[in-house]
Amino acid sequence: MSSAFVYVLAASAVFGVGVYGLIVADHLMRKLLSLNVMGSAVFVLILTVGGATPAGPDPVAQALILTGIVIAVAATAFALALIVRMFQETGLTSLRGRDDDD
Amino acid sequence: MTIGVLVDLMLALALVGLSLRVVTGRALFRDIVLFILFGLVIALSWSRLGAPDLALAEAAIGAGLTGALMLMAYRRLVAGGAEDVAPRRRPPLLAVPVAVLTGALVALIGLAALGVERVPDAAGTIVLEELGASGLGNAVTAVLLVFRGLDTMLEMAVLLVALLGAWAVLGEVHPGRLHQVDRRTPLVGALLTTVAPVTLLIAVHLLLAGTDAPGGAFQAGAVLTGCGVLLVLTGTVRPRAAAGLATKLLVIAGLAAFVMIGASAVALGRAPMSLPGTWAVYLIETAMMLSIAVTMTLLFARARALEPERA
Repeated sequence: MSSAFVYVLAASAVFGVGVYGLIVADHLMRKLLSLNVMGSAVFVLILTVGGATPAGPDPVAQALILTGIVIAVAATAFALALIVRMFQETGLTSLRGRDDDD
Repeated sequence: MTIGVLVDLMLALALVGLSLRVVTGRALFRDIVLFILFGLVIALSWSRLGAPDLALAEAAIGAGLTGALMLMAYRRLVAGGAEDVAPRRRPPLLAVPVAVLTGALVALIGLAALGVERVPDAAGTIVLEELGASGLGNAVTAVLLVFRGLDTMLEMAVLLVALLGAWAVLGEVHPGRLHQVDRRTPLVGALLTTVAPVTLLIAVHLLLAGTDAPGGAFQAGAVLTGCGVLLVLTGTVRPRAAAGLATKLLVIAGLAAFVMIGASAVALGRAPMSLPGTWAVYLIETAMMLSIAVTMTLLFARARALEPERA
């Protein structure tokens, strides 16, 4: 059993968990956390299956992931700005309406 | 099974366990903290996978910055009267099967991709062969700045768009409402006078080291943002009503440096986005670091601009 094998399985499990969170989470910030969890799983997957060079993991894959990490935090910051504004306007923190019971 | 694989197994179990807690927990504050922990375990995994550049970026950006942004937004929601603990609801019936099938699909793709033999002239191999020509010792920085400069330039554009988007939905800003820490207390003063300069030093070191060793503009920018976050939290700076010229120049500096140097190459008869030398790499990276730090600090403070607080 190799390290790559372990990380591929872990990333797949974490991605599945993220999908579950995205479906069941009520609070928008928890949905955002789930999205970030899914993103991290994808990054681990890209690096692991990207293959190895004599000087470590593929540098192009690493640069791609580095870019992805920064884009993820930028998107998260914008999403948080939207969530805070939505709460200020409506008093809600989820997409469920105020009177929805199910 | 070697010790290394055992460590990997432990990290993998920690990742799955933490992610489960993060998405299924009921108390948001605790789960944001666990998410930061999740980011740190990912950073450990990067270093186990032999990618120290990613480990640095993940610890500073993925765990640190994202966590700080989340906690700040959480505080704003709670200050507005939002509830922390969500009521227990019955999850949709299909949630578990959908999640399990998605995970299985990803595993299938991942394991299939693992079995594919690496082509001899993969992009990464060519990068390592041509690394000497780039004048840089760090292959990742070489890809970001020299070989795929266009991608990094557009990434700076994405960061700018995120800030503009956040400004667009900002609404009314209440100056001075942000901080609750009294910075005249000795502890906060001591913290500022020691941590702020050290953060600055680490950021510049990461930037300079990034050409040959793990590090670079993104990691440096994230560490510098840590300094900005500290200044915001201690009330050393406060939000301003509108962005002045200095703020606008700082947030576009990274993109502008890239565009100007990349486009001037065309005017001088070289290939677009080709850099004239290592000095250009340093120039662009410095501009990127400043842009990233200012943009992320403004996003954190939820402000259009910041100015020093007069005591």
